[in-house]
Amino acid sequence: MASLRLNWKLIAGALVLLGAAAFAADRARDHQAWERRLLIALPDQVVADPQLVRFAIAEARPLYARHCAACHGADMRGNPALGAPSLSDSAWLYGSGTVYDIERTLLYGVRSGRSRSHNITDMPAFGLTGRLSDGDIRSVVQYVLQLSGDNYDPTAANEGRRVFYGAANCSDCHGMDARGDSGYGAPDLTRNVWNSGSSAQDLFRAIYFGEHRVMPGWRGVLPLEQIRALAVYVYWASHPTPAQAANTYAQSMITPGGAAQKQ
Amino acid sequence: MNMATPEIDAEPARGRLAALLAYRPQRSALLPSIGIAAGLLIAAAGVFHRAPPDRGTVPAGYAALVNQKGILTSDLIAQSVAELGKPFADVTSAERARVLHEMIDEELLVQRALVLDLPETTTEVREAMTGGVNAQVAAPLLAEQPTDEQLRAYYDAHRAKYTADGSMNVRDLVLHIGGYENADQSMAQARIDATEAVYQLRSGAAADYVMEHFGFSDSGRMKFGNEPDFAAKLHLGPTLYPAATRLTEGQVSDPVADTDGLHVLIMQQRRMPTIADFAAARSAVYADYREDVAKAAQRENVKILRGQAQIILAPGESE
Repeated sequence: MASLRLNWKLIAGALVLLGAAAFAADRARDHQAWERRLLIALPDQVVADPQLVRFAIAEARPLYARHCAACHGADMRGNPALGAPSLSDSAWLYGSGTVYDIERTLLYGVRSGRSRSHNITDMPAFGLTGRLSDGDIRSVVQYVLQLSGDNYDPTAANEGRRVFYGAANCSDCHGMDARGDSGYGAPDLTRNVWNSGSSAQDLFRAIYFGEHRVMPGWRGVLPLEQIRALAVYVYWASHPTPAQAANTYAQSMITPGGAAQKQ
Repeated sequence: MNMATPEIDAEPARGRLAALLAYRPQRSALLPSIGIAAGLLIAAAGVFHRAPPDRGTVPAGYAALVNQKGILTSDLIAQSVAELGKPFADVTSAERARVLHEMIDEELLVQRALVLDLPETTTEVREAMTGGVNAQVAAPLLAEQPTDEQLRAYYDAHRAKYTADGSMNVRDLVLHIGGYENADQSMAQARIDATEAVYQLRSGAAADYVMEHFGFSDSGRMKFGNEPDFAAKLHLGPTLYPAATRLTEGQVSDPVADTDGLHVLIMQQRRMPTIADFAAARSAVYADYREDVAKAAQRENVKILRGQAQIILAPGESE
């Protein structure tokens, strides 16, 4: 009889284990179903489903910490020393900040060596290559400060304006209105949002040495569902309110264009 | 008819069952345990086993599968927007289908290229592949811009690269040996004649006179007159060009033997190559510096690949 009791205990224990395993497997299946849901939707449709957004954010948080935070910061506010952009504001270099735009950047990167990455042009090293003198660069800095609404020296800014539209031909990429071009990844100079620092010295350095920032492409490194989750996460971080999200999508309809990256 | 149930002697059967269920520790502990373990294994396998991918189902995130190779929906969107120049929301189903059709065609061709082993047989494909790998390897290092000091040091180490080409106008006279006009002339005689011609030229004799007197003719190699050094190098060839670069304006070379006879060069005009100073060469130095950074990264990558590869050379081969 003692042996029979022992056997029943064994069987009961095994059943509990099996139950737990089945529960875990069921959770895993459920998780897979969510991942599938996340991927099967078109990128920009995901944000219309709050449950899906919640799932993506929960998925992406540890991924962000592991793969992105080193450059973009744990708080997603970027790192001027690395030229890594803040992911929590609404300034976008490439595209207009839709999930699709962000996902394209995550998939293929920026100047990553993959031909699908963003790599049409980069900010020339005006000083280093001798295209502009130090004095010219200082003047352009003052003009850029004026454009962005910061304190500036009017005389130097006036001279800088001449260089901006003349010898340096900055308007070729940044536009005649200096509002940038998301096709080239040329930033809007009127917004006072800077990836490599906002002081006159930082701006001087950016113009003197140029900018050739790179970001790796994650396709083939991370599974697609994780890339999608990260895209949703970055989108969510930069669009905390529905109004901001609506604005982004309104703009994306006007400017279809390519893919996106914040730099 | 009353069919009486036959009396079965149940006693021996009961006895056998009792004997079967009798307490036998070795047997009762072992068999149930094996049964439980086997059951658990089968159940666990059933629970955790993922159904094999359905070959007819396109995974989420993909727009199509072409021989099990996926075409990303994101790529389809990007391609549609690029091709049609409008937001994806405005792309019609027919347009989307057309773009996808093109992408599938392209994927099929790429797959066919692999079947045909184009990387092995086609130079352009190999170049594209090696270029692609090199670009990826170099990309992170190119993010770092050089300092002025690094650029200057690079310039100092590679000054010779930053020369502005010189130019020359050389008259190239040739004395064909054994040719029609000099059929009886031996090499020894030709050398004597050429040496004498050089002496006379250096003494101020006119080139036309010397040509006529000693049987020289114009080689025709420098028929365009004043030429940049790179062009003169091309036209004069590897034997005469070095001799020409040693001449200053007005100088006459010693006789130089080339494949078509003995040549005498008269430097009529010469602008020497100049080394560009750092300020003038900055842009080129910057480009070269970055190219060298990329090449160094690529070399390092190949070194790593070699370290991981099994390379066996055939007997007699070396690298």
